[in-house]
Amino acid sequence: MGRGYLVEDAVEKYLSELCTQHAVPVTGLLIGQSSTQRDFVIMATRTPQREESPSKQETSPDKEWVTEHARQVSRMLPGGLSVLGVFIITENDGKDTQTALRQLVFAVENLISSERLWSPADDDVTDCVTLHINPKTRKTVCRTFDVKDPKCMAKPADWKYQSGVCSSWSMLSCCLNVDMLVPLPDNRAVTEDMETCLKDGLKIWADKICSGVCLIDGKKLPEDTELTTGQKRNMRQIFTTQLLITQNEQRSTKDVIQSCGGSVSVRGTVHARAYLHNNKPRAKLAEKLLKRDVVSTVATRVQMLLEELLTSEVESKSKDEQLCLPRRVFCLLKGAGSLCVCDYQFNDEGPGEVTDRLKEMLDIDAAEEDLDTRQELNAEMVAHVVETGWKNCVFISNGCIIFLSQL
Amino acid sequence: MVVDNSQNPHTGTILRVRGPLELKCQLDTRDASQMKKVISATFENLRSQVKSESCVFMVCGSPVIFWPNKGAKATPEEITQNTPCEELLQWIQTDEQESYGKKSGKKRSKKDSKLNVIHLNLMMEMTNPGPLPAPVLTRRIQKSHFLSMSLSMDCAVHISSNDTIRDASKLLVDALNHQLCEMEKVSLQHLKGNTLPLPEVFHFLLPEPNGLTTVVYPAGVADSELEMQRKDLHEQHHLPDDRPYLRRANAYHFPDEPYRDGYLRNPHQVLIHPTLEDGKVYLVQGIYSYHHYMQDRMDDNGWGCAYRSLQTICSWFLQQGYVERSVPTHKEIQQALVDVGDKQPSFVGSRQWIGSIEVQAVLNHLLGATSKIMFVSRGSDLASKGRELANHFLTQGSPIMIGGGVLAHTILGVTWSETSGQIRFLILDPHYTGAEDLQVITDKGWCGWKGPEFWDQTAYYNLCLPQKPKMI
Repeated sequence: MGRGYLVEDAVEKYLSELCTQHAVPVTGLLIGQSSTQRDFVIMATRTPQREESPSKQETSPDKEWVTEHARQVSRMLPGGLSVLGVFIITENDGKDTQTALRQLVFAVENLISSERLWSPADDDVTDCVTLHINPKTRKTVCRTFDVKDPKCMAKPADWKYQSGVCSSWSMLSCCLNVDMLVPLPDNRAVTEDMETCLKDGLKIWADKICSGVCLIDGKKLPEDTELTTGQKRNMRQIFTTQLLITQNEQRSTKDVIQSCGGSVSVRGTVHARAYLHNNKPRAKLAEKLLKRDVVSTVATRVQMLLEELLTSEVESKSKDEQLCLPRRVFCLLKGAGSLCVCDYQFNDEGPGEVTDRLKEMLDIDAAEEDLDTRQELNAEMVAHVVETGWKNCVFISNGCIIFLSQL
Repeated sequence: MVVDNSQNPHTGTILRVRGPLELKCQLDTRDASQMKKVISATFENLRSQVKSESCVFMVCGSPVIFWPNKGAKATPEEITQNTPCEELLQWIQTDEQESYGKKSGKKRSKKDSKLNVIHLNLMMEMTNPGPLPAPVLTRRIQKSHFLSMSLSMDCAVHISSNDTIRDASKLLVDALNHQLCEMEKVSLQHLKGNTLPLPEVFHFLLPEPNGLTTVVYPAGVADSELEMQRKDLHEQHHLPDDRPYLRRANAYHFPDEPYRDGYLRNPHQVLIHPTLEDGKVYLVQGIYSYHHYMQDRMDDNGWGCAYRSLQTICSWFLQQGYVERSVPTHKEIQQALVDVGDKQPSFVGSRQWIGSIEVQAVLNHLLGATSKIMFVSRGSDLASKGRELANHFLTQGSPIMIGGGVLAHTILGVTWSETSGQIRFLILDPHYTGAEDLQVITDKGWCGWKGPEFWDQTAYYNLCLPQKPKMI
């Protein structure tokens, strides 16, 4: 009894085009949502070309490149959408294609899950899909692997194209305040230290989010409640969500005051979103997917900022600095109902850079007007000085204080 | 300085909201006044959070959630700001809501009405309508210190039957706000260099008209060091200055919070007290635990009765807040007697009996408490000791150990008529070997009222009457 993948028609068209356009083997990612009953594939995207590609006739795909692509693509998928697996288009019907697929799918899953800040749930689907299409014969072989078990055998699965796979998906969203303050260790406080401290802080924050109470359309629903009931079943539904948190944190030490070399705070608001498939989704799933998106969107942006800092590391002379995290921008997927993908735009980037990334990573042709930038505003450094007679103090608008040695 | 609720404490409804609030800030410990300012500002930040629209109360065990600062907006829709709080009880699903007020046994009294406790969780809503600016990362590098503590907020508010959700919202937010002020005060008072004790909340049930009162004490600072604070509070609340009401041991146990050590408290309270013509009832004051044979995996059946009575008395001293020393074991009692020179070292580990003199000695040595000894040459004489025993319970209020012949018991009270001389004794019997079953213990008379014929009429008896220390 294998898994059954329902695949949006547009994906068939896309894969077909890839078959005809390229001479060399093409790899790529399959994106959608898995549920215990069924799996939905809503889009596919080819691995981008490597600039320094040594030879054109590469027989085996570049594992590192594919997994890096998967990592970047994961960041561009809102809650509910994830990389479900890998495809390869090659005339090679031999065993090494299957081996390559197996290696790729495990590598991709391992990399993506290693960056996750939430713990896997018992009801998570752990199967990933591999698809092999022979461009000449158009023969399609679909198999799944249970990525929890490195020794598992491939299981055959159904791959079925259908129209309307993406229609009537539900969407939950919210705007969430982020307010984290973590100490930096008592030494040189370089960026690497900041990274570790932030990751630890994010983990604690993520736990708080995941154990919070989720209200859907203002109500706390029992886990098994079907979200789309009655006449609305075939219509797309949008739900507003609220998240209520208990501030509790586990502490390892009893000492309430510890020495530090400084502190880092992350404050602002993020827009989180999750999509739910159209096959009787339940409140439990909705809550899980939304919370995961909340955690990922913050973690991703912090990670992106840290990556920027590390690559351009000019050890800043000033003792204190404020850095803006990128804002989240959405883009409607053509041929995929109302589903959107997203990207993160730094303050100094224009919309063109976003559309470029959408093209490179997701093979989407988007115009600047197609970008939805209304969900978040640019981060602002909103510090203003308040006359309190305190030396070297700055009050930030939501009441927190930071110290600046020079204003 | 504390919140008081003047109401009959044993009826009605208490709303109790609990939840953690995180206090975090960066401090420059070289500048003490700077530190205090930053800590105060951080507390102010928490107070504004509690007063903000993000503050949420969730009623435990129910789907009810309300926003106290948003016109008491609530979910489910049936709850509005004008809903009486007591209606919340109908929304709460508990398995055993009737734990107090069970069907009565032979001698059990019925409680007039219940005290309901509604538990609320304090939470913060993290979501709000956007769009709003994306986050900013701020890095500050300075060798300094970081303060991070979790404040366990715990406010209890007594409400009357016509209080609505809106009324309760105001009361609770005020109480939380006030508690944060108290915590700030305690923190700043006890800030020394770079140590800061965690502020902890204690509830006390004070005599009328004070009622349920809440105090914040710094964790890790012993009661003995907090005498000044207690003195102020005693004055404020017009409490006598010679007995403790506000030591940590005196903290109120809410009716739905079982004692975790497993001992029964005050089993005599379910009894119906005898009515004698012109008689008055004089009882032990305060809380004691029932200690008896076979407890603590100690088989002292046949020899340990006086030890158990002594343990009951020690539990009274502990729970009234007179001492911090835990109830001693048989071995510790025996060792104490060796230490004062009353017994040989071989006494420790033996199964030898002790009497009231030994009880007096141990109370003195381990707890620093003095006791009076009363002697009756014949058991029948006890019937005429009504006045003295009544006086003891009035002025001292401690349990009495009585030993004579071959048995020891604990006297918890007397009913005595001055005119007729009739008397009954409230006896707690340490010879019970069963489990902590209140029904059995009271039905079978292990804790019960006895007439003067209970005593061996010809044997002599010694009574140890512990004196309560004068302290607060």
